[in-house]
Amino acid sequence: MIILEYSNRIIEDTLNARFNPENKPKPIEMSFVDFDGVSYHLSTLEGQDTKLLLSIRWKCWPELVSYGANDVLQREYGPWITSPESGYDFSLQFDLENLGADPEELIKKVGLLKRNAMAAPYERAFDAQAMAEKEENWDPSSSQLMAVHYRDGEAVYIQHQQDRVTVIFSTLFKEETDRIFAKVFFHEFAEVRKKSIFSHCPQVLYSNREPPLEIRYVPGLLDSESQGYVTFVLFPRNYIPGAVREETISRIQIYRDYLHYHLKCSKAYMHSRMRARVSEFLKVLNRAKPEDNSGEKKLASGRTFRRS
Amino acid sequence: MSNTLRPYLGAVRQTLTAAMCLENFSSQVAERHNKPEVETSTSKEVLLNPVIISRNDKEKVLIETSVNSLRISIAIKQADESERILAHKFTRFLTQRAESFVILRRKPIEGYDISFLITNAHTEQMYKHKLVDFIIQFMEEVDKEISEMKLSLNARLRAVSEAYLAGFN
Repeated sequence: MIILEYSNRIIEDTLNARFNPENKPKPIEMSFVDFDGVSYHLSTLEGQDTKLLLSIRWKCWPELVSYGANDVLQREYGPWITSPESGYDFSLQFDLENLGADPEELIKKVGLLKRNAMAAPYERAFDAQAMAEKEENWDPSSSQLMAVHYRDGEAVYIQHQQDRVTVIFSTLFKEETDRIFAKVFFHEFAEVRKKSIFSHCPQVLYSNREPPLEIRYVPGLLDSESQGYVTFVLFPRNYIPGAVREETISRIQIYRDYLHYHLKCSKAYMHSRMRARVSEFLKVLNRAKPEDNSGEKKLASGRTFRRS
Repeated sequence: MSNTLRPYLGAVRQTLTAAMCLENFSSQVAERHNKPEVETSTSKEVLLNPVIISRNDKEKVLIETSVNSLRISIAIKQADESERILAHKFTRFLTQRAESFVILRRKPIEGYDISFLITNAHTEQMYKHKLVDFIIQFMEEVDKEISEMKLSLNARLRAVSEAYLAGFN
């Protein structure tokens, strides 16, 4: 699995089992999590086993709402939205006896709940850019920098210009090894992008410690070696409305987790490799020990004797 | 094997063979103590002159000898940041397993990446020439391993980047 899934597998699997008419409805009470500190709560209403309630909690929810998340969610989940459960930011309710025309499609959509919530600032920036492009005298100061602080100490900044949209991730590397591996990663990334088959891909820039110009004035940026900034420059061809746009949004969203996931994988691989090498060295060292000759010796006749 | 590696390893091998004539020697300072003199260095007369063999400014070996013990410290080649971190990880991995590598010192000498301490007890239990073989093989393979790890890291991250970018339209 090189690419992480965009959707939440737990939601999909659970709903698949629940929505199957062959399974009898029974009470459920589940709490689970997703990347970036998202927590979900799936439960049945009291006394009503056919009513499922799915709630999501995310630190940056108010920010997402201010960038129009409610509109996106309304569009995607319209009839299922219900008032949020206490302690959570957003809730969906399903009635097993009335699942609508296409339960399969519904499950897929619900699995993308986190992704769709996060898509709001992207969609807004893409639309704003399309508007700005048509204007003769576009005023750069009218473009809003949308910041979403979706993790502790990490954030994503989205801003549109007249001809492009910039997405900046700030990410923390807890260990020096991660930081150095990430440098290698970005080096390779830049190399790969130079290939002609990838020339249509968004440009990716990386800087360590030094924030990019677009967000330099933002207060509260951590000034430390462990801080890294990744900038994506998206041109309109990267987000043509429709499938291309959806795919781009999904793919950019997983970027941070993808990067860290593969850094961890590389480390694990190094570890197993070193383990193998060390056991080889041990074998070489043990060869230096003389073989134990004190055991029993056999005479030609088959009798044994012990050397005293 | 490259042109400079062969004489380098040859010199280390000769020096080690010559240095590895150790005998049991009780401490002259404390009664009924028997310590590796190269570590304690309490009596100067039993220490020999240390030898440094360098291949270049980064790669070198320090061999310190005394009457009953011998200390070999190796500086591993580290061309860039990622090699430095890999070398560091690898030597740390080894030193954490010093228990099973009887001759490995838990802490390297300052300025070096990894140290071995061979005492007369080790040379009595093990074949001397095989101990030398081990050190030489270690030096050979550690460089190879680090450069292989670096290559595999680059190749892996390249594949990862390609997979990621391939999804964009």
